[in-house]
Amino acid sequence: MSPGAILDHQFTVAAYIITWTLHLVYLVWLTFKWRAQKRLEARLNGNSR
Amino acid sequence: MNSALWTHLAKDLRIEWRSLDAIISMLFFSGLVVVLFSIAFDPRGAFSQQIAGGVLCVATMFASVSALNQAWAREIRHQVMDAQRMVPSPGSELLLAKVIVNFLFVTIVQILLAPFFVVFYNLHIAGQGWLLLLVLPLGTWALVSNGVFFAALSMSSRNRELLLSLILFPIFIPALLAMVQATTSIFTGESDPSLWIKMLLGYDIIFTTISLLLFDVVLHVD
Amino acid sequence: MKKLASGLYVVVTIALMIWGFYQAVYVAPLDAMQGEISRIFYYHVPNAMLCFLFFAISLIGSIGYLSYRNKLPSRAQAADALALAGAEVGVLYCTVVLTTGPLWGRRAWGIWWTWDARLTTTLVLWLIYVSYLLMRRFAAGPQVQTLAAVLGIFGALDVPIVYMSNRWWRTQHPAPVFGGGPDSGIKDPAMLAAWEWNILAWLVWGVLILALRYRLERQHQKIADAEAQAALNA
Repeated sequence: MSPGAILDHQFTVAAYIITWTLHLVYLVWLTFKWRAQKRLEARLNGNSR
Repeated sequence: MNSALWTHLAKDLRIEWRSLDAIISMLFFSGLVVVLFSIAFDPRGAFSQQIAGGVLCVATMFASVSALNQAWAREIRHQVMDAQRMVPSPGSELLLAKVIVNFLFVTIVQILLAPFFVVFYNLHIAGQGWLLLLVLPLGTWALVSNGVFFAALSMSSRNRELLLSLILFPIFIPALLAMVQATTSIFTGESDPSLWIKMLLGYDIIFTTISLLLFDVVLHVD
Repeated sequence: MKKLASGLYVVVTIALMIWGFYQAVYVAPLDAMQGEISRIFYYHVPNAMLCFLFFAISLIGSIGYLSYRNKLPSRAQAADALALAGAEVGVLYCTVVLTTGPLWGRRAWGIWWTWDARLTTTLVLWLIYVSYLLMRRFAAGPQVQTLAAVLGIFGALDVPIVYMSNRWWRTQHPAPVFGGGPDSGIKDPAMLAAWEWNILAWLVWGVLILALRYRLERQHQKIADAEAQAALNA
């Protein structure tokens, strides 16, 4: 493969990896926040009982 | 209807006249910016005429921010805002008065700085210099009217000054572009600034209108 | 029943994403001139188109909040949650656009960036909505929602102005014309199919994370309310 084609491939792979990383990191962050809020909610509901 | 506007205007001008806080700090800060830019971007070079317009506009921006940061300072202290909310006239008059006052401050600073700017950049205006009297006020109005509005928006937050710059600058970008393009084309005489002047006018009209419309919402928020 | 439906939706979304990936990487033929980097389009372009959708949703939420906040407060809260969720997902999609674009541009045009109308508008759009999110983070107190809604409207208003001003800027000083880009008409049906599958996949994915973010924010609003109540009752 020509060096240009190899670089093309690397850039394409990088683009795909970046896209997935951004989206999945966001999803993971949402999950963490969800769990933290669930705990907070449970604590508040426990107190008000 | 006009009396409330004049009252607000007279009050702010009188207070400023007594201490000259805003104008002095702005003058010094923007003078510093001009000097710094002259050192960073060599004004003796061939391209100095090209970048002079941009430097002038960015210096105006930084200078305005130092004024805008204190635009509502007096209202924030001593709960003056509560008194303002009880005033029977529409909030838009308070906003308009503040914008006019700050516009005057920035314009005064621009006028005082102009000779230094001409000297540092060895400016010779190749195009129609009188158009600057149109471009600079329009651009400054764009900056100040949005700036005072956003300063009111960010009044309640903990990083008030930082937030003001963060939300003002992105929205100001098209006006900045127009102002820089217009001043550069006037300085170099290479192109016609009328398109940019019209754009600035349109920008000013749109954003001034919408900030006057939405100011009551912001004023009466908690 | 609802759980079954949402579970099914998630499965379909994941399946579509995998199918879109397969289409983009293995099925679609290579572009004659660009070679392999044309595959970046199958991710770059859907994200670009969809970020506008989510910003539009955010704008609707902002307007809705301002309209309903006095008459129907519960609906206003929902609108505000939508405004925030739309802005966040929009910024996410816009970030993808701004990072994958230069990767493509570097190989295709030889430059990482240029200040043409489309790129500048996308960057300024990103800046505006990031500043919106920062404002929501920095501002304190119950008035955040109103102030954020106002800023959201200002920001959205600025976007067409940015685009037009940059068009004029570029027609005054013509830069090399970088072609019509990927939407100048795709003729190969296999490429078209890959492209359409990916748009669909990213759309359902976006709606999924928008819904998740919306639910998260609604939960946050309820908790904030409950905390306020607890403080009152204490």
